Order: sequence, then C-alpha cells, then structure tokens
Amino acid sequence: MTAIRLEGVTRSYGAVRAVDDVSLTVNEGEFFTLLGPSGCGKTTLLRMIAGFTDVEHGSIWFGARRIDAVPAHRRNTGMVFQSYAVFPNLTVAGNVAYGLRARKVGRAETGARVARALASVQLGALGERWPHELSGGQLQRVAIARSLVIEPAVLLFDEPLSNLDAQLRTQLRVEIRQLQRQLGLTAVYVTHDQEEALAVSDRIAVMRAGRVEQVGPPEAIYRTPGTAFVAEFMGSTNMLPGRIEAVDGAEIAVRAGGAMFRVQGAAGTVGDPVLLSIRPETMRVLAGDADGRSVTEDGRSVTATLVLREFLGPTLRLHTVLPDGTPLRVAALGGQEIRQGAGGALLLGYDAAQIILYPAS
Amino acid sequence: MKGIGGLGAFRACVCLAALLFLGVFLVYPLATVLLASVRDPDTGAWTLAPYRQIAASRYYLGSVGNSLLAGVLSMGFVCVLAVPLAFCLARLEVPGKPVLLTLASLPLVLPSFVGAYALVLLFGHAGIATVAMRDIGLPVGSIYGMPGIVIVFTLTLYPYVLMPVMAGFQAVDIAIEEAARNLGGSRFHVFRTVLLPVVMPSVLAGALLVFIEALENFGVPAVLAEDRPFLALDIFKLFAGESDSNPGAAGALSVLLVACTAGVLVLQRRWLARRRFATGARRVPPPIVLGRGGRIAAGVFCWAVVLLSVLPFAAVLVISFQHFRGPVLNWEITLSNYAALLRGSYRPLWNTLLLASIAAMAVTLLGAPIGYVLARHRSRLSTLLDIVVTVPFAVSGTVLGIGLVIAFNSGWLVLTGGWLILSVAFVVRKLPFSVRSAGAIVHQIDPSLEEASINLGVSPLRTFLTMTVPMMAAGLAGGMVLVWVTVTSELSATIVLYSSRWRTMTVLMFQSLEGTAPGEAAAAASILIVFTALPLLLVYRLLQRQGMGVL
Repeated sequence: MTAIRLEGVTRSYGAVRAVDDVSLTVNEGEFFTLLGPSGCGKTTLLRMIAGFTDVEHGSIWFGARRIDAVPAHRRNTGMVFQSYAVFPNLTVAGNVAYGLRARKVGRAETGARVARALASVQLGALGERWPHELSGGQLQRVAIARSLVIEPAVLLFDEPLSNLDAQLRTQLRVEIRQLQRQLGLTAVYVTHDQEEALAVSDRIAVMRAGRVEQVGPPEAIYRTPGTAFVAEFMGSTNMLPGRIEAVDGAEIAVRAGGAMFRVQGAAGTVGDPVLLSIRPETMRVLAGDADGRSVTEDGRSVTATLVLREFLGPTLRLHTVLPDGTPLRVAALGGQEIRQGAGGALLLGYDAAQIILYPAS
Repeated sequence: MKGIGGLGAFRACVCLAALLFLGVFLVYPLATVLLASVRDPDTGAWTLAPYRQIAASRYYLGSVGNSLLAGVLSMGFVCVLAVPLAFCLARLEVPGKPVLLTLASLPLVLPSFVGAYALVLLFGHAGIATVAMRDIGLPVGSIYGMPGIVIVFTLTLYPYVLMPVMAGFQAVDIAIEEAARNLGGSRFHVFRTVLLPVVMPSVLAGALLVFIEALENFGVPAVLAEDRPFLALDIFKLFAGESDSNPGAAGALSVLLVACTAGVLVLQRRWLARRRFATGARRVPPPIVLGRGGRIAAGVFCWAVVLLSVLPFAAVLVISFQHFRGPVLNWEITLSNYAALLRGSYRPLWNTLLLASIAAMAVTLLGAPIGYVLARHRSRLSTLLDIVVTVPFAVSGTVLGIGLVIAFNSGWLVLTGGWLILSVAFVVRKLPFSVRSAGAIVHQIDPSLEEASINLGVSPLRTFLTMTVPMMAAGLAGGMVLVWVTVTSELSATIVLYSSRWRTMTVLMFQSLEGTAPGEAAAAASILIVFTALPLLLVYRLLQRQGMGVL
C-alpha cells in the first residue's frame, strides 16, 4: 500500500501546458480517477507517474520516496493500457510471467503466482493460449493479471475499457474495482467517461486544460460541482443563463429563460449575470392541472412547453422549452404517466437546494 | 534524458553515429563535387568557368534537355499505363491476379539496363526481330535514342505508380463511392470526380519518383543513347573519359543533376505531406462486376502491359542459351555463352555476391536503429537526421561515386580501388530504403508494448533488444533481401568505383555490351536476372504484408 503525492507537477509541449502545476494526494488503497475531456492532461499526468513522460517542474512521491527521477522500469507500477499491449509473441501465461522474470522470481513461484493471477481475472484455463486467439475483453484481463502479479506499489489504468463494448465495459469495471479492493492496492485510473468514473472511484479529480478543476468523492462532484465546467462535464445538465432579480437572505431569485427560479446560494448582487445548473432528474413533473396553476405550497415551480418526449426505458426524457424559448431537458421515471403531448404545458417543480448557481464568466 | 534509463543515450548515439557516417560518406563527397565545379584545378581560384562552358555548349545543353525530356515523357507514359492498370487490378475481376501482381513487382528489382539491352537484342541494328522483319520486308524504326530510352523507362518504372495508386484505389471507402452514386453520379462521373481526386496524390508522388529515377539512371542511356547526349552518361564520360576528362564540367553537370532531382524530391515530399485524402476504408471495396466484353478487355489490357514489361527479360534468358557465331544467332541450345563469359574466372560473380551481402547486412544494421529512432522519437537531432538520410534519394549513383573518388583518392583516408568504397557507396545509396522500411515496421508495433515491458521492470535498452528487435526481424529480413537484390544490379555507382580486381557482374555485363559478343552480354544479363528475381519471389509474401512500401 502506497500513497501517491504530486507536488506542483508541470509539463509543457511547446507553448502548451499539458499539465499545469498539479498538486494531488492519492491515499493508500484509494481508487483515484483522473477524469476530463481529451487533451486535458490526464493521460500525461498518469504517464508521469509511470515514468514515461518527464516531469518538468514539481515532484512525485510514492510514500516517503521521491520517484520522479527514477527510471520507469524501477518504479514498480503496474500499468494497464488502452490498447491492451499484450505481447503477441508470448502466450497468456508468458505475458503474465513477464514481469516476474524481470524480477528474477524462481520458476516454481512464478508458476504459482501466474496461476493465481489468471484465476483472479477468470482466465485460469487459458494460460497456454496465444493472444491472437483471445477476445478484446480477455486480452484486457490478461493485461490486468500481468500488472497485478508483480504486486506493484500502485496500479495505473490508462482508459483500459474504452476499446471494449458497452456491456463488457460495465462488467469489467466492477471486476477491476473488486480486485483493487481485495488486494488493497492504490490505483490511479484515467478515463473520459464520467459514468465510469462515478461508478468505480473513491475520489475523482476533474481536469481541464492541464489543471485540476475539482477533487472529491463521486457524490460531491456530481451533486455540488464546484464550477460550471464540472457541472456540465459530469453528465447532462441544463445550463441556463440568467440574472439575479432579488436577494433575500440565503435565497436568491433568478430570472432565466423567461421564468423565475428561487435558489439557495452564496451572496450575489442584484443584476449580476449568472448560470443556473439544473440536472434533468432534479425536476419533477407535477400532477397539477394543464393550466399550469401552481399546486406546490412553496411555489417552487415553473411552467414549460413540451416539445418532444423520448422513452428510454427506465426513464422518460422530456424536451421542453421555457417561456422565452430556452430549451430545458427533464428526466422523469419511465413509469410515470404524463398525458400532455407535444405543445402541452407542463408544471415543473424543483428543489431549491439542487439548483446550483455559478457566476457567469 | 532522465527517467528513460539508457534509451535516451542509445537514441543520441544512433543519431550521432548516423550523422557522422553520412557526413563523411555523403555530405563530404558531395561537397567535393560541388567544390570541383567552382574551383580551378590548377590555381585553386574560385571560378564559374565550368558552368559557362556548359551554358555555351550546345552538346551539354542538349544533354540536360534530353534527360529532362526523357524524364517527363517517361512520367507521362507511366501514368497513362499505370493508372488504368492500377484501377483494373484494384477494383475489377481480372483472371490470374496474384500472378499478375507478382510479375508486376519484378521490374522494380530487375536491372533496367538489362531491359534496355533486351530491346537492343530484339530491335537493335542487328536485333533478332529487326532482322526477321527486314527479311519479310517490314521496315523497323530505330529504337536508339529517345524512343527506346522512354520505352524502357516506362516498362521498368511503371510499378512506382502502379503500387501506390492500387493501394489508393483500395483505400477508398466504398461508402463514399456509394454516396456519390446515390446522389446521382454515373459510374464514370464517380470515377472522375471522386476516385481520381482521391488517388491523385499517389499518382503524382509515384510519377515524380519515376522522373527522378529516369533522370538519374545511367545504364539505360548507356545502352541505348549511342552518341546522343544524356546527363548521367555525360557526367561519367567527362569524369572518367580517357581523352576528354574534365572534372570541373563533370562537377557542374553533377550539381545540375542533383539540383533537378532534389528539387523534384522536395516537391514530391510536399505533396505527400499534404495528402490527407485517405478515407479509411474498413475493408477492401468489392470488385466491380463487368459484362463479358469489359471483362475480356480488362484482362487483355492487364496481361498485355505486365507481360510486355517482363517479356524482354524472358527473351534475354532464352537468348543466353543460344549459340552465337560472331554477332549472328544460331538457334541451338548451348552453355557456351556462360563459359565464355566467366572464362575460368568466377571472380565477378563472387564479388557481386560478396559485396551485395556485405552491403545488405551493413545497411540493415545501420538502417534499423535509425528507422526506429526516427519513428519513435522526435528531437532536433533526429529531424536533421531525417533530412540528411533522404538526400541519397536525390543523388544519382554516378555523382555519389564521383564524389567518393575525389574525396577518398588521397589524403587522410584512401579507399579507392578497394571493396570498401564500393560497399560504402551501396550502403549510402540504399540507406533511405532501409530506414524507411524499418520505420514502416516500427510503426506497426504498438508503442504501448514497449512501455508495458518497461513498466513490468525490463530496462528500455533490454526491451528494445529482446522485444522490439525480434518483432522487427521478419520485416528487416525482407528489407535486407530487397537491398541485396538491388545492390546486385547496381551499375551507376559501381561503374565509377570498380577496380580490375573488384569488377562485379554488372560491370562485366556493361563491358561485354561494348564487345561484339552478344551471347556473353546475354549470359551476364541472365545471371543478373536470376539473382534479382529469385530472391524477390522467395520473400514476396513477406514483402507484400508490408505493402511493398519499402521499394
């Protein structure tokens, strides 16, 4: 078990700062995810931890040992690559034994450890197979076994599931998470898929343009995104531009999309332009009458016009527009009965605490 | 570089060693050629006299003009021939396609001057066909000079356009064609407006290579020009001629030739750099089904072109086993030509095999690390190396040979007259091919594989030696055979650099051309054909997997 500490890590390519003064601590045994759009520097950061990219400024520590000047092959990390990188010239067992051979582990012990590692990824029977005989999912399992068997200080995952199909992705990420927890290994996981990040991580660092935008547990990142960027990146949200109309203690009235939203938020000044982040699933279609008359006691509702409905099975996605034509997406449970057709008026209730206010930049 | 554990040092060593080698054996000799053209040999003063001499001479202007014209005509004819052929082979059902493809790759390695000689044997002054046709009263035009040279260039250089254009036609996503048809385009309209523009960069890139090759080629004009001026030939005559030796003028003509080829090469590279038309076909588009007439026409066309290009070589093989009495052919099978050619000495044959083997091994040992470093690692040093290593493409063998003679005839390093200078010339000439082929192989190896190995605790240098090199081995072997084959038929540098002890088969063949015994020349040509075609056919499958890109 090893904690990882990054201090002021920077790397630039030409004029572009791929990683810009990043400081992070990954706790022992933690599953830590670097999440962000392509080009945000997450892979560069991971490769710096692995030792494939030089650190320009700053330092990287495994526990009390500074490792940013240690050659890649002496860092004792186990990396799983997006392209699997299973050696085509070795059998499955040969692949898994590769790191043990490099460590001069004895024959008998190698055999036992390889068998155990293969069993842990459910490939126990395939040791003598050649890589070209395996499917993508099996190949990635070989790669995982190969990096587990060396008992690395930390596990590194570089978008390991992005070449697999959706169903396999969900299945394998559960297995990865369980293996990591069983072995108690510290893991750093890079992905651009926010759902994957939410599903597997203890904590997530959302990155943007080489910098860390927000670090926190999945729930916190999703429910209380620190910036508009994080809010938009973490799953679909409605981002409505608006203006503060009134400030009443902790409650702020914002006019957006031709409707009035009353939200809780940090202090603002009347007249300030703001952005409202409203997640589709936080809006409820109220069983009120079609006239749009308010039926909530606290009056926290807006009316919108239904444009299109998409039935997605578990959920029902409603494309609506606010009075001034601003689109607003609403997710209702698939089972909920909504009578209105296109053009019908909907009364949408919201929880003031779940609408997040950002200063418009 | 910190953190890369030995590989950084390895990369720097490769770059520096390669630059040192090319600096000494390419840049320095070329500089001496340039110097020879702008300095008076007696006084050492700066002068432009050789250039003025050339500008004032109708003969040498004609030489430049003829060479350029031959290049342009060959380029045009090659396109006319190769583009439809590429389309037929890529997209139509042609009977015997695998055989056709194999045969079509042969002209790339068969020595073109042997093709030229075959033309002389058949249609020359005393050619077999000429005589036969004269006997039945058919007049035969002269094939000497421009017509013959352009015919030979066209028939031997067309694969330079055929191969990339074929790949281009196969890389067009069928969906794009279907989209064009769906929007209402006729078959021909789609060909003209969609397919042709997509493959145009490949056509141009290949055609410019044809131009360069035609301009540099020494052997074909040597056989067919008779007394007409041609650039590569005149450079050699001016440099090595017994009576009219003029190193200054040879240098000036060399500079002109290198300037032409280098200019065209830069143009070609620009084209390649901007070609981003590949449409990323997932699979090879299905063959277009033609009617009976169309099918027959396409088959006849393909077979005619390919057979026409290999038939001269086949004719030489057959003729080499016939008995000659003086210049007159008797149709009886004999080995006497071979006996006469080798006349108790197998030395030239051994020389050829030895030099080709040395060069092939040396060029692979040098080219593979360079190709690896250039493909995997970008730095200022490697960018410089990338440029320098391309230079031999633009330098004709004759010019390089002359440069090596001037540079290493005296002074701190004397190499002339030995086997080493020949090997050096071959290595320098073939290095770009080797580097490109190694680079292509490296590009097919996922860099994550090496990183995975390093990550698992194997040092970068050991990873390179125990993982990357074995993975490259098959490809490198193929490239090595190809270099071996092309060195075997090398003439343009050899003719400048050989000594009486280090004569090769190509020199022997060249010398027997001037003699009056066509049988011996045919025997020499046949030996060359066998030693170039056989190895290629043996490794053809291997090379095909690499898309023949190495050529």
